[in-house]
Amino acid sequence: MNCSTEVDLKAYIVDELARGERAAVEDHLRACPSCREELERLNLTRAALATLEEEEIPRRIAFVSDRVFEPRWWHTMWHSGPTMGFASAVVLAAAIVVHAAAPRPPAVQVSSGADATVVKELSELKAQRAADLAKFDQVLKATETRYEQQRQEDLATVQQAAEYYDKQFKRMEVASNEDYRQ
Amino acid sequence: MIFREVEDRDLIAKARRGHVEAYNVLVSRWEKRVFNYLLRLVGEREDALDLSQDVFLKAYQNLKKLDDPAKFPGWLFRIAHNEAYSLLRKSKPEGEITVEPKMAESSGGLFPIESTLAVRSALERLSDDHREAVLLKIYQGFKFEEMAEILACPVSTVKSRLYTALDLLKQTLAPVNSGGAE
Repeated sequence: MNCSTEVDLKAYIVDELARGERAAVEDHLRACPSCREELERLNLTRAALATLEEEEIPRRIAFVSDRVFEPRWWHTMWHSGPTMGFASAVVLAAAIVVHAAAPRPPAVQVSSGADATVVKELSELKAQRAADLAKFDQVLKATETRYEQQRQEDLATVQQAAEYYDKQFKRMEVASNEDYRQ
Repeated sequence: MIFREVEDRDLIAKARRGHVEAYNVLVSRWEKRVFNYLLRLVGEREDALDLSQDVFLKAYQNLKKLDDPAKFPGWLFRIAHNEAYSLLRKSKPEGEITVEPKMAESSGGLFPIESTLAVRSALERLSDDHREAVLLKIYQGFKFEEMAEILACPVSTVKSRLYTALDLLKQTLAPVNSGGAE
């Protein structure tokens, strides 16, 4: 190339010039045979490079649904056991609070001269209330026990899942590495 | 093109929220480009496949670190560049220029096989840095600024590498050019 003018023909052919710069290069090309020849050579080089086509990928990339991409064990655990356990704890706490805050009937003083029927009814009501409270306590305890069992089961499941995923992840990682190194 | 970019951003946003299928689509869109870039950079199909796998795994693991989803292509190729150079550094002394071509076999194409082979050979004769500049600009269509981010070097270095590579290719492919032109 014999032209002494600084014209960035390479930037021109790879489309890295602003519109004004392109126009300036094109103006120069109209007046400079040497740069036109150089541009022709560069365009031929680019055309030759374009003959190399992209190849198809021989086998698909392992997607995230494959085991090697599966979420870590702690991720699985966070989205299963603790969530369940936390929900159970919230329900249990709410039940205790409701029970503690429930309004109780005011104590009634019965005079010695009160009617026997009234006294009897009051006694029955007290007995009924005591029975209800006992039953409520019983239900509450049963609920607590059931929630605790559920929580323990959830935790056991989570631990098993964690161990499984941990093993699987390590196994797949090793298998994947061995497979590709072959 | 604009719609495609919007779709990619949407897929990235979904993948970040744990939608594995969204990431699957993203992988299927980009795996061929990444594989071909790596294939032409490292020269061995199995290596390119292994690296592609690693690239998409690392991209998935680090997706939340991607500040701007619109920069996903450059970010993905930055990972690919790092993976490829880790391998190249292990297999070659620093600065070594490949002389003997070791390209994978052709998958065929519309152009004369001689031209395709000549281009492959010419690319293989370039240094890794020069070849990569051609791959990113000519075959992947990145802008100089994007290439600078992928390669973690100044734009001036990117231009210098590309221009040198184009000059070398112009000389090497001259017989092909003249043959094709006549």
